[in-house]
Order: sequence, then structure tokens, then C-alpha cells
Amino acid sequence: MTKTATPSAETLNAFERELNDVRDDFMSRIGQADADYIRKVIRTQRLLELSGRLVMVLGFVHPLWWVAGVIMLGLAKILDNMEIGHNVMHGQYDWMNDPNISSRRFEWENAGDGNSWKRYHNHEHHTYTNIIGKDRDYGYGMLRLSDDLPWRPKNLWQFISYINLSLLFQWGVAYHEVAAERIFVGKNKRRKDSSLPISRRQLRNDFLNKAGKTIFRDYIFWPLVCFPVFWWVFFGNLAANIIRNLWTSTIIFCGHFTEEAQTFREEDCINETRGQWYFRQILGSSNLEGPRWFHILTGHLSCQVEHHLFPDIPARHYPEMAKRVAEICHRHQIPYNTGSFGHQYFTVVKRVLKYSLPDYFHSRPRAAA
Amino acid sequence: MTQSQTLELNTWSRGLRWVTSAVTLHQNLADYVEPLAQMIWPGWQASSWRARVLEVRPEQADVYTLVLRPSASWKGFLAGQYIELSAEKNGARAIRCFSISSSPDHYRRTGLIELTIREQQGGLITPWLKQAFASGGGVNISAAKGEFLWPQGDKPLLMIAGGSGITPFRSMLQEAAARSSTRAVHLMYYARDAHSWLFHEEFQKLMLSFPGLTLSFMDSDVQGFISAQHLHDFCPDFVTREVMICGPSAMIGMARDICAGAGIVSDHIHFEYFGAAPLDMPEAADGNYVVSFEREGKAVATDSDAPQTLLDVAEANGLKPVSGCRMGVCHQCICQKKSGVVFNTQTGRYSDTGPGEIQLCVSVASSDVILDL
Ligand code: FES
Repeated sequence: MTKTATPSAETLNAFERELNDVRDDFMSRIGQADADYIRKVIRTQRLLELSGRLVMVLGFVHPLWWVAGVIMLGLAKILDNMEIGHNVMHGQYDWMNDPNISSRRFEWENAGDGNSWKRYHNHEHHTYTNIIGKDRDYGYGMLRLSDDLPWRPKNLWQFISYINLSLLFQWGVAYHEVAAERIFVGKNKRRKDSSLPISRRQLRNDFLNKAGKTIFRDYIFWPLVCFPVFWWVFFGNLAANIIRNLWTSTIIFCGHFTEEAQTFREEDCINETRGQWYFRQILGSSNLEGPRWFHILTGHLSCQVEHHLFPDIPARHYPEMAKRVAEICHRHQIPYNTGSFGHQYFTVVKRVLKYSLPDYFHSRPRAAA
Repeated sequence: MTQSQTLELNTWSRGLRWVTSAVTLHQNLADYVEPLAQMIWPGWQASSWRARVLEVRPEQADVYTLVLRPSASWKGFLAGQYIELSAEKNGARAIRCFSISSSPDHYRRTGLIELTIREQQGGLITPWLKQAFASGGGVNISAAKGEFLWPQGDKPLLMIAGGSGITPFRSMLQEAAARSSTRAVHLMYYARDAHSWLFHEEFQKLMLSFPGLTLSFMDSDVQGFISAQHLHDFCPDFVTREVMICGPSAMIGMARDICAGAGIVSDHIHFEYFGAAPLDMPEAADGNYVVSFEREGKAVATDSDAPQTLLDVAEANGLKPVSGCRMGVCHQCICQKKSGVVFNTQTGRYSDTGPGEIQLCVSVASSDVILDL
């Protein structure tokens, strides 16, 4: 993988200033339109969820109803996780001072406990983006996606692990921190640099509680409420969850694991200036291009670069911001990774496959890079 | 109810709460339904009541009265209580507390309540409210709160009001008149000059229907601040009365000292900082502010020469708030601010003074601040 050389301090300073200007500019536009927007998305999500659950029940009239219901519920789950949950929990709407739309209280429709996710995602992943060893979102401790990690035989079938992870993605999200802290399995040795602000017991309880709620909701409560069609609803919910899992996992993999997205070492972030931090965020992320509905369904993670630069600006501004960020990068000759969804995803698959093999199968002279 | 019944009830309600949060992902069903209900009733909130602003009535150059009609399910109030009023300004919810200045009797007859509000100079909300609702609109109000109430019994009362601290007294006096109270009440009302007494004529008319009422309008321009001499001169029997004080904090302090000094027991001295309301703008300007950690019961002064983030201040004082990146990215350090203005070093913006959530790691106090820590 090519590594882009760090630009001069001068360039980085200018770069930092220009990006700060972009941020200030958009910061000053935040207001009523954003509040109205997120409320509208939440309304749509609620309507989709409730009508999806209703329509699914009509499956006994004609199976197409069931299919329609599943798709609606799947969309509702996607909206909840992406455009609403992810962005609200990043604090993009905290300024609204609305307790139901605040990062502190929001809980998403996902097996993962929101607080746990905020700890490892908002903190670790966003601060130490793509730093091997610190950003546990990088490959999720399962996949080898760069030659920073030594090859191991289990990497041979990592494409299958990847498919499994995608199908069960919400459980991956849920289990992530619990796994890293070795709560249930693993050598009973605590992670040395654990920065858990809560007790291990609490972490375990939160995990079990949220997991229990998730299973109860989709596989016990709703099927029971619609008792005569218990299995229609049971499998409908399962299908909707799979739709959501595949979609979210695919979008998220496109954000940091495309061919060109770079990795970093721990030394890279010591005493970083904001400019260097911006620089690292840009090199480690990649964007997807598409129509507006596509951006919304990705929670604007299609603008992963902008999201990483400005994680707490309401995401609906990212496509506009992207134009200016791309221009700034271009001017300073900093690579800006963007492409169509199809193309970017293709490179993700390529990357998962490529690093499943030991390095000598694909290494070209690395020193020259 | 037997103990086992209570226990059963508790388990039952806890189970119900678990199911609610499993199915709706909200603490209660109403919060989940809120966005849908808003399609029919814009602005509806599960945790408060809607109120229509019917009129903004000017009282003086910088004082106005909001006339509100709370929705029918609102639970009413006792004279002297206040409400939290929240209104949406450019997408953000702003919350302020105001004493109700009209009487419960008036509410029973007309369904209306009044809030009398002084515009804070340079304030963010109070001048805005006046303009934004000049031609009506909707706001949200809380249930009535507060313990500053008309005392039971028939012991004579001395009411000491300063500036817009008159509002709870107006409510109490109107109510007493409506109930044909025979109690002896002396109102001493301090204003900064002779043009600034609110409801001047109204109080004088009130004396007709409320024979026990005595009024002393005090002009601070001429008579100065409250003093023991004033009390002796205008209300010679004040030591035998139950005292109620509402106004700016300096005045409350002085009045309490005077009364306590004259031998009135503290059970008979009631007071309320007018508008339990946070002020619109910071008062101190020298840059040394007090940061209070409410749950910890600790308050520390900050040093303007070496500004520190609130996260650092908290940690330097032995608290361990949750934090993560320490650079404003992760929102782990979000904390409820009860009141006060903070400066966000990342966005370069000042917060509102009312309650709100802030990121400790990038916030610097720019007024006295109370934190829920
Ligand atoms: S500690 Fe990360 S935002 Fe404050």
C-alpha cells in the first residue's frame, strides 16, 4: 500500500486554517432547518417502522405484503441506525437541547448498547482513526486488512468471516467492546490500556441487558403480539435485521477499508497538531458518490471524509462541505478518496481477499513506496 | 397496602419499564410517540404542556407581560409558584423560569395565566420572546413549581419586593382579594426610580377590595437600598410579622440580615430569588467565576489569567467525570449544565445561560456555572 508522505508544516498549517474556515462557515448555518430535518427523518422512521410491522402481518393474505413489510421495517432500522442514531449519538444535534435527540440519552435500534458504542467508536475510532493497534474498528479484530499485521492461517478464510460479520453486524457492534475487554472469554488478562469509565460488571450487564431487549423485541414481543402469524413476523423481523446488517456493514467497510485508505502507526499521532489530525483523517477515509436518498440511507457516511473531519456538524451538510474539502485537498495535493459505490465496494472486497494471503503473494517492492 | 403487595407492584412496574424500553427504545411510550403526535399537534411534548401566547402586553419600556392559555390538561398552580417556559429559537430549545404574576382565581375564571418579564440587557432570550411572540404562537410550560407560597394562618405579613420580584406577590395579593381575605399585609416595593413600579395603579385599586393591605412604594433613587430604618419607619410592627422577600439576590441578603438582626426567627422569613430564573447574561465581568459541582456539593473559583476547561477544573478538584478524546470529538464528556454561560473553545460560541448539555473538555466558564456533577 502506498503511504502518502506528510506535507510540510507550512502546508499543514494552511490546510488546517482552510478546513477550520469551512467548519466555522457551516457551524454558523446550523439552526431551524437542521432541527426540522432531523425531526422529519425521525417521523419518517417511526411511520416506516410501525407500518412495516403492520403490513408484514398481511403476509397471510399474499406473500408480497410480507415482502413489502420486511423492506419497510428494514429501511426503518437503517434510518434509525444511520441517519438518526449514528449522527445523534455523535452529538450533532445536542445544540437543540431536546432530551429525545441528545447524544447522552439516545438509544438506537441495534443490539449494541449505545453507551458502549459511543466509548469505542466516538472516542477510539474517531480519535485514533486507522492507527493499527489503537483503532479497534480497524478490521474488528477479525480481519487482516493491511500488511501492518502479520499473516496468520485463519486469514485464509477471512472472506467467509467477513460475510458472517456482515450478516450478524449488529451483534458484532454489540460484542465489540465486551470482546476487547475479555469479559466472557479470553485469557483472563485485562487489556492493559483499558480506559473503561465503568466497571467490568456494569459493562457485562449493559451488554446482556441490551442484547436481551433486542431478542425480546424482534423475536418474542412482536411475534407474540401477532400470535396467529407468529412465524411470519418472526422471520420477517429476522429478514429485516439481515437487510439492515448487510447494508450498514457494507457502507461502513467502504468508509475505511477501500483500496486507497491508509493506515498509521501509534507514533504518528503523538503531539499531533489539528492539521496533522485532519490530514490523517482524510487519508484514512473514503467517500461514496450517489444521489441524495443514498446519502441519507448511509447516514451520510458516504461522506466519511467530512464526517471524520467534522463529526459533530449535522450530517446533512456533508455533501456541500465535500465540494470545498475536495477543492482544498486538491490544491494542497493531498489525496482525496472518492468514487462510486460499486467501485469502492469492489476495492473493499479486493482488499479483504488480498490480505487473506501471506504478503509474498502480492508484495511489490514496498520500500519504493 | 401490605409490603408484599408494594413489592409486587414494583416488580410489575419495573417489568413494564423494561418492556417499554425494549420495544420502543425510549423510557416511556409517550417519548416514542412524540414525533408522530407532533404531526397533529406541532410542538407537542410528552414531558410538558402546550400553551398559546395570546398577547404580549407592554408594561414599561423594558418589561412586558405574556398572556398564556395553557392546554386544558395543565394542572394549575398556587399563588407564588413559577413555571419553566421553553420555546424554540432557531431550532434550539431555550428554557427559562418565570413566576406566574396572575392569580389562580384569574386562571379559574379565564383559563389564562400571565408572566411578567423584564428584558435582560444583551440577553439572548427575554428580548427575543417579546418579538417572536408579538403576534402569538406556541410555547411549552412545565407543571407549576416552587415553595414560595402564601403562609397558612392569619399572622400579619410583610412582603418585600425588589424590581420584577413583585410578580409572585401580585399573584398572592390578587388571590387574597378574590377570596376576601382579612389578613393584614404590608407590601414594601422597591424600584430603581419613580417610573419603575410595576402595576402601581392596579395595587392601589386592589386596596379597595382588600382592606388589610398597606402599600409602601420605595424609590431607590431617593431612599436608597433597603435598610433597618426603612422597616422601622414604614412598617413599625415588622418584628411581629411573617416576612416574605423576593428580588435581586443582594437585596434578599440585606433584607434577611435586617430581619434576623431584629429577632425574627428564620421559620418566619421566606424568600425567593426572583425568577428562580437564570439570568440572560453573566453578571461578573472580571473573569473569575465560580464553578459549582452540584452533586459533589463543591464550588471552586476559576482564575481568569489561566483559563482552564471545565474538565480540567473538575479533575483538579478530585472529580472523575467521564471523558475520552479531550479534544471535542467524542462527546463522552457531555454533562448537564444547570445554569451559566460557557465558552466553547472549539466552535467559538457562547452557550445559553439556561439548562443545557455541554462538552466539558472544550468548555470554559464565562459566568458562574452550575454543573450536574
Ligand atoms: S472528551 Fe471527547 S468530546 Fe470531550
